[in-house]
Amino acid sequence: MSPLGRRRALEALRLVVIALVVVIAVLPLAWVVLASFKGPADVSQMPPRLLFTPTLDNYNRVLDAGFFAFFRNSVVITVAAVALSVALGVPAAYGFSRLRVRGARGLLLFVLAVRFVPYIVFAVPLFVIMVRLGLVGTHVGLTVVYILVNLPLVVWLMKSFFDDVPTDIDDAAAVDGANRVQSFAYIVLPSALAGVACVTILSFIFTWNEYLLALVLSGRAAQTLPVVLTRFLGGMEDPVRWGLLSASSVVVLAPVVLVTLLVHRYVRAGFGGRPS
Amino acid sequence: MASRDRSEQRDRAARVTHGTRSASDWRAAATFIGPALVALALVAVLPTVWAIVSSLFDWHFHRPHLRTFVWFDNYRRLFGDSRFLNAAWITFIYTSVSVMATMVLGTLLALLTKAPFPGKSVVRALLTIPMIMTPVVSTLVWKTFFFEADVGLINWLLSLVGVDGPAWVARSPSALFTILVVNIWFMTPFVYLVMDAALDGFPQEVLDAAHIDGANYWQRVHHVILPMLRATIVFTVIFRITIDARMFEIIHVMTGGGPARDTEVLTLWVYNAALRNFHLGYGNAGGVVLMVAVGLLCFAIMLVGLRGIYQRTGTS
Repeated sequence: MSPLGRRRALEALRLVVIALVVVIAVLPLAWVVLASFKGPADVSQMPPRLLFTPTLDNYNRVLDAGFFAFFRNSVVITVAAVALSVALGVPAAYGFSRLRVRGARGLLLFVLAVRFVPYIVFAVPLFVIMVRLGLVGTHVGLTVVYILVNLPLVVWLMKSFFDDVPTDIDDAAAVDGANRVQSFAYIVLPSALAGVACVTILSFIFTWNEYLLALVLSGRAAQTLPVVLTRFLGGMEDPVRWGLLSASSVVVLAPVVLVTLLVHRYVRAGFGGRPS
Repeated sequence: MASRDRSEQRDRAARVTHGTRSASDWRAAATFIGPALVALALVAVLPTVWAIVSSLFDWHFHRPHLRTFVWFDNYRRLFGDSRFLNAAWITFIYTSVSVMATMVLGTLLALLTKAPFPGKSVVRALLTIPMIMTPVVSTLVWKTFFFEADVGLINWLLSLVGVDGPAWVARSPSALFTILVVNIWFMTPFVYLVMDAALDGFPQEVLDAAHIDGANYWQRVHHVILPMLRATIVFTVIFRITIDARMFEIIHVMTGGGPARDTEVLTLWVYNAALRNFHLGYGNAGGVVLMVAVGLLCFAIMLVGLRGIYQRTGTS
């Protein structure tokens, strides 16, 4: 084969491999979306039926099963937890980025270390403490606990975004007579809004998806969607349950998948890519 | 006149940013950083201390009045407890296989997508999907639609080539294989995103120079790209280890630790010991062992992995 022909063949092979990887990556999502519109006769057929009469029965059944209450739990807890973590974490990140205080490096490493501790180590004591305080099964309890999951992420990512804002504009603000708080609120923060969007979206995804802490601490009254979903695992020999499981799965996935695809650049920015 | 105004402004700026620094910075630090630290102290430090202290007690959740201080008895018991040692071993296997597989696959994928091609940004977005999908949902989909023994996708594909697939989730060692597959599928995009971003900032001239020197593609990857990405790789490995060593949802949903205890990792062991059997002290001792082991391992990897890295970049 000529060098040019060989290079073309290699390039074609590369694209085929990439396409294959993408198929594997999205297959579970595509599968569950399709299954959620299938009737009991189609859902467990092999080979998989790609042509079928779509039905909304599964979604109606999800509504009937009282899923909305759990959806509300998830929304309330996630929104409150993300707001709390961003409100606490963004000013802290500004402080770590701009203030020269002895011991700041050590504190920053401590914040990071929280992210690396196995959550089960927190979960057991938090369960005992929250039983005593009567917070198990409340929205407030889970909301506060999710500081654990989100705050280290918010502080570290926002610090790197603040570090990218040139300190010249702080000096300019100081010249104009702005104090620290004004300089933060009116000058530096508006220059790092892409970072705020990024940490908000990532915190939202991690909180919405969290399972272990929710399982241990949500009791009966504050169960979030991932905890509720595992209940549909019983009686899986009945194809009707497969439809129910698929439709409820799609309801759980919809917010995170839509957010990720719509504002993908911010998600990517969270992993070191520039928010282009 | 104008120049005096400017010098006055400079003085004032200097006073704000330098002159009264120590006093005002401490007050500012308390305002900006204080609330976050107080919050973390309450939800993170307090429970950790509580876990460590309680691990020195014989303490059953429903019999708090019988709580007794036993020094390190719980830890001594752990290392003679075959169920705990089994969980430690499974955690080790699970974490090392998954970390290695995701590092290799994610890095290869980033190299593969480095050169431009049509639809690259769409591919990047789609590849993030496994990582952002609710892990409980992904695991349920893999379990009920793909690994299912009778009407699952994988056994159907195997039947096409005449292979009779096993009851994946219900048997050993295939059960361990299923949770590894889901974890690798879930976490490869994370490594890919980090490596892809690192490669994006990689100076093209360096590669061109190596190319002119006659290095082939794999020589360039091995001798130029990977060494320059060493710090990124070390931190990604550490991050990956901490995530896998505490993995709970994939295993809890897929196998629940079974069959028998063949997929019971340490997180699940602590969950069962402390929150199912309510042996708070004993369960927490296992959690503390996990935390310390992961911490020491990551610290060691950081020391070895980053040794000499700053001198090297300094002299080159």
